[in-house]
Amino acid sequence: MTAPAVPEQSVRNERLRLRLQSIRSFARRFASRPDGVIGVIVLLVFTVLAIAPEVFVGPLQTATSASGPSLSPPTAANLLGSDELGRDILNLTIHGTRISMVIGLLATIVTIFLGALVGIVSGYVGGRVDTVLMRITDFFLVLPTFVLALILAPIILDIVGADSEFFGIRVTLLVIVVVIGVTSWASTARIIRSQALSVKELAFVGRARVIGSGPRHIMWRHILPNVMNLIVANTVLVFGGSILTETTLSFIGLGDPFAPSWGQVLNAAESAGAMGLGAWWYVVPPSVCIVLVVLAFTLVGSALDDVLNPRLRIRR
Amino acid sequence: MTDRGPVASSAPGADDLDDAAAVAARAAALDAQTLIRGRRQWPLPKQADPNAPLLVVDHLTTRFKMAGGSIKAVDDVSFTLNDGEALGIAGESGCGKTTTALSLVRLLPANGRIGKDSSVKLFGIDLAKKSEDALRRYRWREISIIFQGAMNALNPVRRINEQIAEPVELRLKVNKADAMKRAGELLELVGIPARRGQAYPHELSGGMRQRAMIAMALACDPAVVIGDEPTTALDVMVQAQILELLERLRRELGLSLILITHDLSVIAETCDRVMIMYAGKVAEEGAVNVIFRTPRHPYTQKLIGAFPNIHADRRTLDVIPGSPPDLRDPPPGCRFHPRCPLAMAVCSVEVPPEVTFADGVRVACHLYPPGSAGVPITKPTKDALVRPPDEAAEGLGAGVFGDPHEALEQIEEEAQPGAPFTIGPSHGLTDDRSLDDIP
Amino acid sequence: MGSRYLIRKVVGACLTIFMIVILNFVLFRMMPGSPDRILLRNPNVTADAMAAARIRWGLDKPLIPDQLVDYLEATASGDLGFSFKFHGEAVTDVLSGRLWPTVILFGVGEVLAIFLGLALGAYSGWKRGGPIDYIGNGLSLILYSMPYFVIGILILGVFAVGLHWFPTSGMLTIGGGDGTFTSQLLDFFGHLALPVTTVAIGLIGQYSILMRSSVIETLGEDYVTTARGKGLTSSRILRSHALPNALLPAVTLIAINLGYVIGGAITVEVVFNWPGLGTLTVTALEARDYPVLQGIFLLLSVSVVLANLVADLIYGRLDPRVRS
Repeated sequence: MTAPAVPEQSVRNERLRLRLQSIRSFARRFASRPDGVIGVIVLLVFTVLAIAPEVFVGPLQTATSASGPSLSPPTAANLLGSDELGRDILNLTIHGTRISMVIGLLATIVTIFLGALVGIVSGYVGGRVDTVLMRITDFFLVLPTFVLALILAPIILDIVGADSEFFGIRVTLLVIVVVIGVTSWASTARIIRSQALSVKELAFVGRARVIGSGPRHIMWRHILPNVMNLIVANTVLVFGGSILTETTLSFIGLGDPFAPSWGQVLNAAESAGAMGLGAWWYVVPPSVCIVLVVLAFTLVGSALDDVLNPRLRIRR
Repeated sequence: MTDRGPVASSAPGADDLDDAAAVAARAAALDAQTLIRGRRQWPLPKQADPNAPLLVVDHLTTRFKMAGGSIKAVDDVSFTLNDGEALGIAGESGCGKTTTALSLVRLLPANGRIGKDSSVKLFGIDLAKKSEDALRRYRWREISIIFQGAMNALNPVRRINEQIAEPVELRLKVNKADAMKRAGELLELVGIPARRGQAYPHELSGGMRQRAMIAMALACDPAVVIGDEPTTALDVMVQAQILELLERLRRELGLSLILITHDLSVIAETCDRVMIMYAGKVAEEGAVNVIFRTPRHPYTQKLIGAFPNIHADRRTLDVIPGSPPDLRDPPPGCRFHPRCPLAMAVCSVEVPPEVTFADGVRVACHLYPPGSAGVPITKPTKDALVRPPDEAAEGLGAGVFGDPHEALEQIEEEAQPGAPFTIGPSHGLTDDRSLDDIP
Repeated sequence: MGSRYLIRKVVGACLTIFMIVILNFVLFRMMPGSPDRILLRNPNVTADAMAAARIRWGLDKPLIPDQLVDYLEATASGDLGFSFKFHGEAVTDVLSGRLWPTVILFGVGEVLAIFLGLALGAYSGWKRGGPIDYIGNGLSLILYSMPYFVIGILILGVFAVGLHWFPTSGMLTIGGGDGTFTSQLLDFFGHLALPVTTVAIGLIGQYSILMRSSVIETLGEDYVTTARGKGLTSSRILRSHALPNALLPAVTLIAINLGYVIGGAITVEVVFNWPGLGTLTVTALEARDYPVLQGIFLLLSVSVVLANLVADLIYGRLDPRVRS
């Protein structure tokens, strides 16, 4: 019991050293991509805003707590103007960061989980399971998933009731999360499946099978780590896409007025006829935020893809 | 651009290859179905020196710019190709043989550059000094290439005969119908029925595709045809057929051929002269029958020793320990010295000069100092050259008992840069940095 | 040879459409708005009336096979049920009135975007690292990161509200013009201009990014080296060797993205108040008019499947490898 302590320690140290080394080399390669670095900086700024919006603009203003004038252009009091209810646009936009990012993050988790699960199982198990799963995947790829999401969201809302809460998150938002996840996992599954197929052929998987490892063990311990690079890069790209979808769903009117995301703010602007009244300050700040964040995710995602998956990189 | 051949008379910038008379003469020759008997039966480009040898390459240096500095993939390589001659270039993967050939017409990736002192003289015209656009007119017209892997080298969405007719139509200014007719004749020439030209590349077998590739290379009756591993990736029977075809074309058409391969048997069968390259430099060059009988450079000796031969005892098959150097940081002195069984002190310090002997063989090795008669200063013992039989046989299992042509390939696989010299099958995920594959 | 490919694709499309119809059936059954639940909300409905209604809607029969068969029969004959919101009008009629504005808006926008986007992408990829590539690729990335409606709002703000060059909403000016056909047509185009531009701009970024990477990938292929070796001019290499191959993945990806794109394009109609399926979707969504929503979903899904089928057929014409 006591004897292996020393070697185990040194094995762990060695493993740690190797890991540190690979992280360092990854960081160096990533740092050589200026677009990726800019993306990371933008995302860091928005993450800080999302974590503590109160620090910058105080608590979220509501119709009752709003104090400003109605639809005022930018002034010293309202740096970015106010909406028709007198809420400060800067306040709404900064708080919108948290809501948009959190929904985006949760939707991404659902998407990647479903996509990775289907992809790995389909690629590893193969045969009839693969055929059926891929048939379903292709179905979801072709389907106008956004329209499906439009229908699913109100159905689920009507069934569970719009005013309930789960773990402190309003159910309207959770429904959006689920709907985005359920409708956008297909392309992730496709990508991961093709990688799982090639990993499956590698020698160590065969060895694991020979020594009697079960399929679940192999998928978890051998396939998953080897498709991880792909998952990481894909996660970042999906994150950007989720925020876009959330924005669009909210704009259409499926958001939660009590937890305004950027899309929800734009929906309010649209209903108030802000653009027709020339109230550009109502529209521009959330729009700029959406573009910045989604662009940053795209830049980071493609930089990560290049750095982590050099084999898949387009030849030059 | 300022380079003018001795007979140059055209206005600056205008290219002699656009000479209407020359084009017409060649087009007429095609119509008359004249078989090609060497390039010189037609008017040479105006800048050409009629007395100059076909192709003289001097001090060719090719660099690739990489993230961590630049690589000299080809370093001061010189050679000559005469009319109707076949020159084989051999060496392990990454020795720069393909880069050498592609440098002749600067068909390099975007990060490749040819050194300032390099010259590539075709009929005395220095192609290395030509601008990109001027050089373009020499491509395929005068130097064409049979690429390796015809599946990828042929455009998958266009018919075979269209692809063969394309250079005839565009480069020789022949009308479309005649160019297509010519494509049919070329296909017949390489043993494909003309109507099969209607097929797309994927509809042909590997051997047929390679034949079509050869037909395409012959389309403009070029002065020099470069075969870049034309038989690699084909099965042995088809390899033999393709080699036979090349042999026949050479005999009938008087082709001048540069054949790049790692398979010494191909060179032994088809070539007059052979140039052995190592790490971007010429190791040894000379007539095939001389070099194969009395290899002088230790690397050549190793290569030939690694090559199974019906007459030799198969168990003494040689393997070359170690792997070719990383060209980002080549060893000082002779680049082969870390792997050389006969290395001397001087080898790791000084680059050996190229010495030419009375029998026409050129060697770059300190065993043969300038003025030597071609006998090494120290006589190598047999033991130094040949590894113990059991070890060697084990290392080349497949090569010994399987297809002899694959023997050298086997060594190459074992000798991946970065991979330790190990015995047994190579295991997948090695880092292949061979220069032939530089993207 | 070719017919096997054709048959496989057509059968695949039919299967997908069948799956869509089944999905629609399942959604319809889990829907809170399905007739008996709507009736349940009304306290004045008696149990007898409920039962009568259930019989009338066929809800008393078992779900499978009877209801499913009924549903399939009705759908096949073009009966998509009745709208809650539009006074019990047949869903088919509601949809058909809104269909052609969307077809025009989306069709013109899509065609514009395909031509411009592919051209821009091909040029960027070809002149990789050049000024056009930098600007084009940067712009494409930004456009790609913008939701369609944001593009629409900005365009609306600048060209309609700010500059008054174009009308802000609708498809025709009510009571406007002198009533002649030409003036009406001009009026229509005036209304169409901004939404079409929005759809096109929203798509150009995507298509250009896609085509750019496809061209770059193709330019690295061996047959392009062969073409260079043949001494062809670079424009000939691009036109005759790189582009025909680079278009192949672009065709597939454009078709696959259609389903996603349509959803985004719906929001453009909302911004410009364009009387098509998009605005209808939002109206139906607010009224929870499920039969209409379902009809829209069915219509759009089937259109996308058919568009994909067309893309497959185009692909078959472009790539000889799939024909055999």
